[in-house]
Formats: sequence, structure tokens, C-alpha cells
Amino acid sequence: MRMEADVTVIGSGPAGLVAALHAYESGAKHVLLLEREEELGGILKQCIHNGFGLEQFKIDYTGPEYAERLIEEMERTDVRYLLNTMVIALSPDRIITAVNPDSGVFKVKSRSVVLAMGCRERPRGGINIPGTRPAGVYTAGVAQRFVNIDGYLPGKEVVVLGSGDIGLIMARRLTLEGAQVKGVYEIMNYPGGLKRNIVQCLNDFSIPLYLSHTVTEIRGNERVEGVVVSRVDEKMQPIAGSEQFIACDTLLLSVGLIPENELSKGAGIKLSPTTNGPITTETMETAVPGIFSCGNVSTVFDLVDYVAETGMTAGRNAARFAKASKKEGKSIEVIAGENVRMLFPQRYSFEDDLILFIRCAKPIERPLRIDISPLDMHFKRLYARPNEMIRVKVLKDRLKDITEPIEVNITER
Amino acid sequence: MDIEKKHFTCVICPIGCEIDVELQDSNVVSIEGSKCAKGKEFVSQELKEPMRILTTTIRMKGAKWAMLPVRTDKPIPKRLLFMVMKELQNIELKAPVQMSDVIIRDIAGTGANILATRNMKKEREGKSV
Ligand code: SF4
Repeated sequence: MRMEADVTVIGSGPAGLVAALHAYESGAKHVLLLEREEELGGILKQCIHNGFGLEQFKIDYTGPEYAERLIEEMERTDVRYLLNTMVIALSPDRIITAVNPDSGVFKVKSRSVVLAMGCRERPRGGINIPGTRPAGVYTAGVAQRFVNIDGYLPGKEVVVLGSGDIGLIMARRLTLEGAQVKGVYEIMNYPGGLKRNIVQCLNDFSIPLYLSHTVTEIRGNERVEGVVVSRVDEKMQPIAGSEQFIACDTLLLSVGLIPENELSKGAGIKLSPTTNGPITTETMETAVPGIFSCGNVSTVFDLVDYVAETGMTAGRNAARFAKASKKEGKSIEVIAGENVRMLFPQRYSFEDDLILFIRCAKPIERPLRIDISPLDMHFKRLYARPNEMIRVKVLKDRLKDITEPIEVNITER
Repeated sequence: MDIEKKHFTCVICPIGCEIDVELQDSNVVSIEGSKCAKGKEFVSQELKEPMRILTTTIRMKGAKWAMLPVRTDKPIPKRLLFMVMKELQNIELKAPVQMSDVIIRDIAGTGANILATRNMKKEREGKSV
């Protein structure tokens, strides 16, 4: 079997759904959406908590409601989708090789492609905790699926390592389900998740958060019987003598998310070492013409609203490319300067407004300025924290005469 | 009279404004740090009776998945969250269910309804119908 499409979107989480919708609304006729799971929506289906879509729709949706709203909107269009369809390869000339139970292996020739594969959780192997390998160690997202979809409680006495948002959400969820969450241990000296999740998931339920702490050993033979936690110094090394044993039957890991870019690499797309996602311009186009990327495959965002915003941009520009195979335009680099750990997008191609997503390198609890050079442009903030992405918008008009790279610096006022 | 200071993080939207409040005799004399009016409302509600939306799941028969995600349609007193969880524990629903269907009216006397937050089709012999 061989199919053709104007725009093919890979992945139907929030980024992919929005990209497919906007590609269609921007005039692409044959939009094809490929999803490897048996239903649309991606991870939203297990994120049963509220807080989705507040900026985009001004409604406080839960994850499944937010997904359902996008799916309903999409079903009113002629976007075609295939479920249980795994993309196994993507070539730089935009030929997709996929496989599903109905058609076996097939190819799609697409005028443009949108990557929306999202991210995956960093596993235990990624953080190297010594000790035994008993049952009862799960990533927070796997535990979320157990509880919210399959209906099992992974354990009764829980320790959470890492304070990413999913870990915080799961600390609350497991507490509500009757488990005792003994604490959340974070190796950094600031939390990984959003402040509002610290407040409504931990503080609301008196779950302690220990900063500058980590799990240094897992104990137990068949099942986890406890963990040893230690304080860490400024170099994040465990401090001898600070060890403490905590009895528990479950350890949840919420130690980071990694964009899932195996397909992108296969297509020869250049990745950024700071985001682990494709280097893109403000139109979400990667270094390979006609291949766009959006959402958490580009960089891990804090909010679904941001994911959707990049999906919209990618969908619209993928439709434009499908129509006109846009000529190679010029683009300039966008550089992370002082106090900037992460910056997205990494290039500017003079097509659209430049919406910058910035993570600062360390917490700054004082008034500060975000400077965009060579423009004489500053944004003021009262504080900046690495766990809370900063979004700023620079209008296209202000950028049209720039020839040198754009640099973003954060300085204290 | 002594001024009592309290600190809140508004959880109404992702901005998460840090709000400082000064109280005298339990009356708010100053409130600072909220970017919008909702933050002030949030704080005065927090001082009276903290309210939260509850999201959880209910056991479901005859569908592809074992659990149906649900929510309260408005915030309920935080102190009643565990009581509501308990009431929902013993319920088992049958597919199909539509998103926004009212599953339980006026849960535990809170005045809030429990709503389904997704569609759940009925499964027969492994196929949805
Ligand atoms: S005060 Fe307004 S802007 Fe600030 S967190 Fe609350 S709702 Fe959001």
C-alpha cells in the first residue's frame, strides 16, 4: 500500500491534534494523523486532573476533557486518522514508513510532515540508584496509568524521587486513593514542577518536600522495603552521615522527561543539545525542509497551552509548505545568553512573530530583565525559576531588519 | 492591634501569583501580589473555607478501560475530599457513558455533581459498538 498526503502528523497528543486541525484549517486538503495507540489523545487520557486549556480556551478542563474537545473539533473536519499505527521510519524527502494490523507495512508520501511524538520519562537506569532491583519502582507516568486507566494502586507507602509535575500530581492522586506518601525528594535546591502543583498537590495534603535530597539506595528483595535518602551538597553529591532509611513499598520516579526523537534522528534532523529536540525556526520547521516539529518532541513544555500553541504554528506552516514548497529563506540564530539554560526556538526565519520559550539557569528571586539583543527590547519580571518557563513574544515587524544573531540574556535589575 | 501576615499561592491559573495578605481581627486590611481579581477572591475563600475541584476515577464495567475519569462540576470544601472519595469507592458503572454525563447528583451534600470527563463506549467481544 502507498498513500499520499499534503500534511502528515505523527502522534495525536495535544500537539498533534492541534497541528492536524490547523493544517486542515489553513487549507491543506489531505491531512493524515498517525497514532500508535488504540485511541487518540496521547497522554492526556491518563492526566485526569484539571488545569488544562486555561490560557487557550479560558476553561479549566481535565486532560481527558481537553483531548475530547480537540478530537470533536477534528472529527468535524476531513482529517483522516489511523490508530494502532506505528511509524517506523521517516526519510528526509518525507516518505513515512508505518505499520498497522490492517495494512501491514505501508508508505506515505507526504508534502510536509509534522513531528508530534511527545516525550518519555527518564527511567531508573537513567539516574543510577544502587541497591537491589525489587518490584515496586515505577516512573510516575506508569503509576498514573495504573491508577487512572487500569485501576490498580501501585502501593500503600510511597516515596517520590524527583519533583516533576507528574510526580507531584501522583503524590496527590495516591494520597486521595488512600496511600501514604511519605515525602518527595528533589536533588536540586529548587522544585522541578510548577509552584501551583507544590501548593495544591503537596501542601494541601501535608506531603513534605525535601530539596537537596536524593535516594541513595533501594532496599528489598522481591518488593521494595524501603529506601535510603541522603542530603546532597552544592555539587549534588550525597553527604556522608546524612543517610536516613525510610520504609516504603513503592518508589515513584519523577526525574525528568526526554523528547522522543528516534524518528527525527533517522530523518537526519539536527537536535539541540539543550532541548534534546529538533532545532527549529519560529515556524517550527526543522533543519530538514518540510519537516516541522511541535510540542514536547521539540522541548518539554510546562503547560499544554504552550504545546498547543506550537502545534498550531507547525500545522499552519506545514500547510503552507505543502501548498507552495516554500523556497529556502534566510534564517538567523537565536542564542541563549547569560542565565539562560534553555531557549526555544533556536532559529528565526522572518516568517512569523518570534515566540520565545525560555528557562533560566538558576532561580532568581529578585526583579530581573530579559533582554533581546540586538533589539533594544526588555521584558521585566519579578522573579524567574528554572521550573517555570518564561514565554515572550517579539513581533515580526521589530525583527525585519535584523542581520546578526538574536541573543537572549537575563540580568538582575 | 496586631497585624497578622499570611502568604498564599493562587492556584486558579498557571501563573501562580504569590499573594501577601495582612489581617487585623481576621479582617483583610491589605492584599498584594495578585495579577487579577480572581486571586483576591481565591484568598478570601481560602481564609473562609478552602475549596478544590476533585478529579478521580470510578470503576466501570463493559468498557475497554477499567476506570472512568470523573470530576466535581464545581469546587467542594477541601475537608470533604476524602469523604467524597470514600463514597465513590463503592460505585461501579456500566458503559456506555458520555462525557459530561452526571454520574452522581449533589455528592455528599456538597451541592456539586460528579461528571464523567470522557466518553466510554461499550465493548462487545473485543469490539466497540
Ligand atoms: S491571581 Fe489571577 S493571574 Fe494570578 S494566579 Fe490567580 S488567577 Fe492567575
